[in-house]
Amino acid sequence: MIVALVATFLSDLSSFVSENFDELAAGLRRTLVVSAIAIAGAFFIGLVLGAARAARLPVISQLAAIYVEVIRNTPILVQIFFLYFGLPQVGIRLDAFTVAWVSVTIWGGAFNTENFRAGFEAVPNRYREAGLALGFGRLATFVNVTLPIGGRIALPSSINTYISVLKNTSLLYVIAYPELTTTALQIQALTLETVETFTVLAVTYLVLVWTMSALIRLLEARLALPEERS
Amino acid sequence: MLPDWVEPVARYMLVEGLVGTLKIAAIALAGSVLVGITLGTLLTINFLPLRSLIRLYIEVWRGLPILVTIFIIFFMLPAVSQQLEFDAVTAAALGLILWGSAQVAEATRGAVQSIPREQHEAAAALGFGWIGRHSFVIMPQALRRLLPPLVSLLVNIIQNTTIAQVIGATELLEAGERQSERLVAPAPIGLGEIHAFEIYAGVMAIFFLISFPLTRLAAYLEHRLV
Repeated sequence: MIVALVATFLSDLSSFVSENFDELAAGLRRTLVVSAIAIAGAFFIGLVLGAARAARLPVISQLAAIYVEVIRNTPILVQIFFLYFGLPQVGIRLDAFTVAWVSVTIWGGAFNTENFRAGFEAVPNRYREAGLALGFGRLATFVNVTLPIGGRIALPSSINTYISVLKNTSLLYVIAYPELTTTALQIQALTLETVETFTVLAVTYLVLVWTMSALIRLLEARLALPEERS
Repeated sequence: MLPDWVEPVARYMLVEGLVGTLKIAAIALAGSVLVGITLGTLLTINFLPLRSLIRLYIEVWRGLPILVTIFIIFFMLPAVSQQLEFDAVTAAALGLILWGSAQVAEATRGAVQSIPREQHEAAAALGFGWIGRHSFVIMPQALRRLLPPLVSLLVNIIQNTTIAQVIGATELLEAGERQSERLVAPAPIGLGEIHAFEIYAGVMAIFFLISFPLTRLAAYLEHRLV
């Protein structure tokens, strides 16, 4: 009885996927493209501003702190609303794709700035002093000493931020950017196959997120600092 | 000093919106803490089937975007059974509880396991059973470690209540959106003016004023207690 029910549901699911494959694939591709842009952007922002914060560069460090606190203490959904519905009033009109990648990049960049700042600050001062004593300049010390060690310390928390970035792209539903969630809801409205739609949507996100977390563990093991390797 | 349209808009956003946000956040926090601490403590029991089930719960609700969880509760459950139909506020609170309890469970497991073995043994020697041991001896000590992540969770819950806007629950962002749309309407209802910029900036400002002291508090507690 139960086996028969499960079998029917699975065949329902597979016909649902094959009937809507093109739309679902296009939605998934947009989710992945926006996430990839945002992850690359957040990595870059985090690296630069995190280094500026850790080195306490005047002005840049304070501006970065304000950026981080504003973004971390306001909901990303409100940030998306502000960019898409608020800015046109002052003459800045951004299309859905621009708002899509800009909003998640800014959000991820703020969290990553904190991740990298904490990572760089965790590098013992004596390492930097050793670099300076060997005749490296400040920049060379950062590139050769602080970055390889602090970057590894920041790695797990920054990958968690990238996973959150991927999950947050689902919020782009509110500006009707046709990523995975928006696409799924459109299919649901047309076909009324509610259970199938949300099962496929949930499973897709779980596969993406679980793959990324498995990647964390692999990378952590590969990039662990020599003294922490077991 | 302020233009005339501000006062009624601000009053609606605070009286209807902010109150709605705080209501959803309070339910979500209470539910997350209750379910999360229970599951997290059970996770320390060395019984594989139970542990795998709780692990699955944590990984699923932590892995799904909260919006998708809320969609599942709000749109999919009624399609499965008519008894599982919830209003928007309940659906949003339930979605936040599933996500929040997964976070709390993970933090609780770590906090409970950080309490030395001897505490368990001493409590057992005094005649406490498993439940008494955990409620009166282990948990009070673990709570100290749990406090900073719980304050951070509160900040995240408050911010994530805005996701309830998507299914039309009355909270701060939804209140702001309604007022912004009303002002666009012609004269008797609105003003025929666009004020989305000021309204959404205002919503951000209110969230900042609530969240910023709490994130400072979380950082301070982390520094003090651990």
